[in-house]
Amino acid sequence: MSAPTLDIENLKLGFKGYTGYTEVLHGISLSVNPGERVALVGESGSGKSVTARIVLGLLQELRAARIEGRVRFEGQDLDSLNRRERHALRGKAMSMIFQDPTSSLNPVFRIGDQFHDVLRRADPRITRDAALGRAASILAEVSVRDAVRVLNAFPFQLSGGLNQRVMIAMALANEPALLIADEPGTALDVTVQAQTLHLMRKLVEDHHTAVLFISHNLGVVREFADQIYVIYKGRIVEQGPTEAVFDGPRHPYTRALMAAVPRLTGGGIPDIDENSPDFGAPLETHEREGRQ
Amino acid sequence: MKRTLAILLANPLSLLGVVLVSLVVLSALFADFIAPFPEHRGAVVDFVNFNKAPEWPYIFGTDLVGRDMFSRILYAYRISLILGVVVLAIAVPIGVTIGLVAGYLGGRWEYALMRLTDVFLSVPPLVLAMSIMGVLQPTLANGMLAVTAMWWPWYTRLVYNITRGEKEEGYVLAAEVIGASRAHIIFREILPNCVPAIITKMTLDMGFVILIASSLSFLGLGVQPPTPDLGSMVADGAKYLPDSWWLTIFPGLAILVAVFGFNLIGDALRDILGAEQ
Repeated sequence: MSAPTLDIENLKLGFKGYTGYTEVLHGISLSVNPGERVALVGESGSGKSVTARIVLGLLQELRAARIEGRVRFEGQDLDSLNRRERHALRGKAMSMIFQDPTSSLNPVFRIGDQFHDVLRRADPRITRDAALGRAASILAEVSVRDAVRVLNAFPFQLSGGLNQRVMIAMALANEPALLIADEPGTALDVTVQAQTLHLMRKLVEDHHTAVLFISHNLGVVREFADQIYVIYKGRIVEQGPTEAVFDGPRHPYTRALMAAVPRLTGGGIPDIDENSPDFGAPLETHEREGRQ
Repeated sequence: MKRTLAILLANPLSLLGVVLVSLVVLSALFADFIAPFPEHRGAVVDFVNFNKAPEWPYIFGTDLVGRDMFSRILYAYRISLILGVVVLAIAVPIGVTIGLVAGYLGGRWEYALMRLTDVFLSVPPLVLAMSIMGVLQPTLANGMLAVTAMWWPWYTRLVYNITRGEKEEGYVLAAEVIGASRAHIIFREILPNCVPAIITKMTLDMGFVILIASSLSFLGLGVQPPTPDLGSMVADGAKYLPDSWWLTIFPGLAILVAVFGFNLIGDALRDILGAEQ
């Protein structure tokens, strides 16, 4: 088996502030294989998003952040790269999509020009026309039919769902090996979210892109991911193939999380302890099939 | 752009502003053709017609050496506008760049640049300009320098505050993630989002720069005679009030028309461009 696209080993992160040192991640490990869709699930503040920032090399530049552990991207240790080399990875080998598609696009530029900027990352000499042509063909893959209108529009002239598709198309335009999706579409309504997730899934399958999917929405994760990691207060508490974790959650926190999903049939949301001692239980691993 | 212009012309107040500013700009541009006595902008003496109340052909009267006030006001507009344009052309890029850099980079940069800005802002503007003019020779170029030195910090403040807000927007993070350089993010992503505010402030400031420059020359620290300047014309005439009222009233009105016109447009632009965001 080839090297995993992303391999995180015992990653710790702390911030030095005025009040002292606060550790946010207490040693998490996870790996994403080429073409695999991996979900990182947890509540707000559990450390999902900072993990993504570290992978992108954005936190390393912060002086207040202390990072320990190993993050390997396609076999390369991110720590061994200098700022310039990490910078070169972003936008080309890895890219990211965000919660709110509309605010992630610059309001004063047309979509087409923003596509041009993105494509220039990979090919600095690409002409505007070539970029627009390429953009139209990627947009077609996310079922945007009137690409010409979309490319000529400003972000605020398009619906949230359309902007989300534009974001996905932009993120995949340079054929990255890894796509990080930070709660994509949380700002959209449920039907649009489902539709765009479906499109995204098809697209990453076609392009064989590995995805690190960060979410608190279990329903979405179940639909989308192959592997799932449950994170709680900076620790991975349960990991394994999606089916296995959903069929037989072992860790008390995972069970509580699943019980907390609101149901259409009503019945209320069970009371969950904010901080049950059970949640500190050690990591539960479901073996992956065909590995190890 | 077209829409902005249409709204500007639809509102009676901003329409008045456009009319006044057009009048000022046109009279400055075509002073050579409009002025009945173009040679009166220089050191000309005509003791036959000195200190005359308004009458044909001297519609605004004549000054103490017999020069046509109307012609001199037209040429004074030219000086005022050149001064305003030059001051803003230097102050705005400097102020905006410092504001963007301080706002986006933060940390030490922010500390150093914003404290420097505070130093300039802590001195009352006219006092700062006066002390610069007091040290240097009172010429037009030094006048521009003095006004510029007191003007850029306001743009730094303005742009710094906008940048602090825009920095948190998703598109900036998206640009960082995609690997855009700092220069690209600062100038190609954030700056375009500051442009409406900058343009609005520039329009408002055009009037204020003219006013400040006039104040300087009123105090004898600006443009020197015989070059016509609205501020020094008011100052010279003030001694002869109320008898020779035309010596002060007309240059004063000229300042009022220019400042008022630019302010009306600036206010309207603020409403239009502000509403779009």
